[in-house]
Amino acid sequence: MRTSFNGSRSEPGAVAYARATVDLASRDVRIEDVPCRNLEDVLGGFGRSFQILAERTITHAFTPENPLIVNTGVLTASNVTTGLRTYFSAYSPLKVSNKGLPAAMWSAGSCKFGPKLKWTGLDEVILEGRADAPVYLVIRAGEQGPQISFEPAGDLLGLTCHEKIMWLKNRYADAHFAAIGPAGEHYEDCYMASVALSTENQLRSGDDKCRWAGRGGMGAIMGYKRVLAIVAQAPDKIAKLKPEIRDINKAVTSGPGSRKFREKDKGGLGGTWSNYEPLEKFHFVPQNNFRPAGDGKPELMFRDNVQPDFFVKAESCFRCGINCHKNVYEKNADGTRGAFLAKFDYEPVNLLSTNLGMHDPRKAAALIALVDRLGMDNISLGTTISYVMDYNERHPDAPILNGATFGDFDKARELVEGAGTGRFPEVGRGVKRLSESLGETGYAMHCKGLEFPAYQPDTNPGYPWAIAGGHMSMATYMAVALEGNTSLEYWATLITTRGLYFVRDDLLGLCKFAGVTGDHVVEALMQEAGIEVTTAELLAAVRRAFMRALWLERKQGYERSDYTLPSEVFDRPNPNLGVPPFVTREFFSELSDRVWAVFDPEIDEIATGVKA
Amino acid sequence: MPRIRFTNLFAERIGGVNSVDVPAATVESALRALTDRHPSLMPLVWRDGALNPVMVLFLNDRQLASAEIGTPVGPGDELDIVSAVEGG
Repeated sequence: MRTSFNGSRSEPGAVAYARATVDLASRDVRIEDVPCRNLEDVLGGFGRSFQILAERTITHAFTPENPLIVNTGVLTASNVTTGLRTYFSAYSPLKVSNKGLPAAMWSAGSCKFGPKLKWTGLDEVILEGRADAPVYLVIRAGEQGPQISFEPAGDLLGLTCHEKIMWLKNRYADAHFAAIGPAGEHYEDCYMASVALSTENQLRSGDDKCRWAGRGGMGAIMGYKRVLAIVAQAPDKIAKLKPEIRDINKAVTSGPGSRKFREKDKGGLGGTWSNYEPLEKFHFVPQNNFRPAGDGKPELMFRDNVQPDFFVKAESCFRCGINCHKNVYEKNADGTRGAFLAKFDYEPVNLLSTNLGMHDPRKAAALIALVDRLGMDNISLGTTISYVMDYNERHPDAPILNGATFGDFDKARELVEGAGTGRFPEVGRGVKRLSESLGETGYAMHCKGLEFPAYQPDTNPGYPWAIAGGHMSMATYMAVALEGNTSLEYWATLITTRGLYFVRDDLLGLCKFAGVTGDHVVEALMQEAGIEVTTAELLAAVRRAFMRALWLERKQGYERSDYTLPSEVFDRPNPNLGVPPFVTREFFSELSDRVWAVFDPEIDEIATGVKA
Repeated sequence: MPRIRFTNLFAERIGGVNSVDVPAATVESALRALTDRHPSLMPLVWRDGALNPVMVLFLNDRQLASAEIGTPVGPGDELDIVSAVEGG
């Protein structure tokens, strides 16, 4: 970014970001400094990309006019801990309105690709059109500024995400990589394809340890554009660490905000995998397609129960001291570390084991690793497979696909392979389309086309207002466990205030789960970018970005009827949950009235601004 | 006075403040003093009169069992209260 402050350090127009617009068909590349229009532009991420998407009229995700925007946040590549985010934004093939129009979507991933991209001299790359043959892009830091070249990608076709990355690593020194897998190459049949980002650990160890921009099918958009990978090659440009930032980093990595993600012997709770224990106290751990049985089986996947048979090592993204990656390895007979199996986070472990009726960590690891190799979103895939199994249990005389039912590992693996290679498009296109085609939508666990993460919809009436995934863009998914409050007033306030500010770090380039405080963000913006904003201004920008996303949904045909929950939440309350059922149709209708009463005027204001 | 530190989950309810110094002799009385001063934190800290079962306490980096809520605290002690459930 380039700044030209003249007195005030809070004027967006004095900030320009470096954008490359790449026409994949003509291979024209335009690099320019773009002045910021508002604070959202300055902060970056979806705050900027959604303004670009708002300028387009897109009726189908797989069309040349649908751009794939690869950008960073203002604190990506800064010295602030977790400042490692890259964002992929486009109109999604997966998230669609009931009218069939694709919705704007972003997905974020960490590790060193984002910093490397920024160190080439670019803040943002917009991929326009579609290449006439498979290519990969090489973005370099040249002497005269960033350079972009096209390379034939025939040798990459069919390789897994990890294989593509290692192939590129052997040809490009001092670089990091974004790549799609076979799922992205089969984009027409797999809308949930994701984008893999290389990690330092992966390049050093040779283990399949990518990070992911997983949600919303951004890998499918990349596949449609026939861009199999992006190389960001630049020397590291790490600025001298300022004492103010050193203090912030110390507070982040040793403070309460990151305790959940740190190891127990580092004063932490052991990562998201350890969500099993507190959630199971209330029988909130999804089982058999989000239908907890209260039978204690989720305990089989508790970390303390799994760990004795494996070697678990906490590892990290580039320069991050939190070590949130809980990587599971074989344990050798002498107790030493064996072969790498998979990274265990709560979401994939639950959705690819417990929620499929399986309680075996080895099988969970096998499925997680397979999903990663093929390059899919484990949330969307796991939740779609649990629907298939549920359907087949309900229709034993007329099962679909391979007849998979809960607990059948071999058939689950077959569905994963089939989704990622185009053989089972019914799965790869997600649970909304599958359930609609079968005429049984009541237990299809999604909102607005995006499958639920591993939190019960019966405990989260805030899901419909999440703008980019239920546990990434609306902080209501664990509220009942946290506070036990099921009143209308509480929920309306939560959704319209605290819940939506959860997307703050999706502009900034930080990891939202590290818990960087508001004061630290304001200080970091000043120290690292020379930008002076107040907490109130920052939150106002976040709120505008959120409202712009809701306006974009409206633009794509979303109506009030799209903002609902699967009907079985209302019609078939689960007596096993640790709270009395409270999400009735009456409750939800009243909640919707209250939420829209707050949001509608703000969305209208955004719409007025766009038209002006 | 001991200092209670907490995450954004708490801070966003009390104007962005991420730590509070409270006069207290035990962990429990420190938490009571916190919620007396900031009643909006009551539902996060307490459930049915006892410590919220989803919350975990760390005293000077050592995790406390819920039965240790009577542990003495004094000046310079740091008490963290964090949620045991987080996404990622």
